[in-house]
Amino acid sequence: MPPEPHDHEVCRALFARLSELIDRELTPAQSRRFERHLRACRHCQVCAETLRRTVELCRRAGESPVSGGLARRLQAMARRLTAAGGPPTAD
Amino acid sequence: MPTGTRAKPGVKDEDAELIRAINAGEGHRFQQLVEKYQQKLFNFGLRMCGEARDAEDMVQEAFLNAFRYLEGFRFETRFRNWLYRVAMSACLKTKRKARATRAETLSLEDFFPEDPAAMPEDVPSWARLPLERVLSAETSRYLQEAILDLPADHRSVLVLRDMEGLSTAETAQVLEITPANVKVRLHRARLFLRSRLKEHFEHAP
Repeated sequence: MPPEPHDHEVCRALFARLSELIDRELTPAQSRRFERHLRACRHCQVCAETLRRTVELCRRAGESPVSGGLARRLQAMARRLTAAGGPPTAD
Repeated sequence: MPTGTRAKPGVKDEDAELIRAINAGEGHRFQQLVEKYQQKLFNFGLRMCGEARDAEDMVQEAFLNAFRYLEGFRFETRFRNWLYRVAMSACLKTKRKARATRAETLSLEDFFPEDPAAMPEDVPSWARLPLERVLSAETSRYLQEAILDLPADHRSVLVLRDMEGLSTAETAQVLEITPANVKVRLHRARLFLRSRLKEHFEHAP
């Protein structure tokens, strides 16, 4: 199948909903339309791949450990709070 | 204080049994909730506030409030999501405010290329290479700085969705905004970060 001619309006529409495409939150018909455009438009491919990588980098960003000091303070707080039994009634 | 009233009752929750036990008099088991969620909340605080001291204050305040209001928890949302909402409130109350953000608001137009024809036609290496080759400690630090430059209402959405792993619906529930709003803010936040990452990698040695 010959590539679809470059359509700036579709580029703009895709640009506005690229995150939804990445998150699979579009309808099947919307996804098919944008996927078809993506196969034909190099500019939108770059846009999609760089945004996809941005999301991956966020998802894979490491976590910092809780310091020993904070863990001890939390433990002491929990002990203090629960010394009288269950939590107080929330009014 | 959050009660999770917007979700349907009967949400499956791995913490339900423990919470019922605590509310039934086994208060000492609150410690288990603290141990389970302290790491998550601390990192959430770090991502929202940027400073370890602020994050630590936030975690303590959040657990204190969680304990105080636990009996009012109605199991209408997952406990984890309720706790994020408690943490978000604690975040806003933290005395030492997070530093001022660079951008006050984000618009889609700010990120749409003025001349799409001038855009590169090849996917840059940072988006093409295996993730392990791109994700370094330096990149993580840079990303964290960029996240702190997001407007707070966009940052909270991005952190909950892309870092804490909540769904669109859960994020909407935690932040008490519509799912459509979550999608709009998330997309703009991602575009902002993409633009910052592009700068970072273009200037990398």
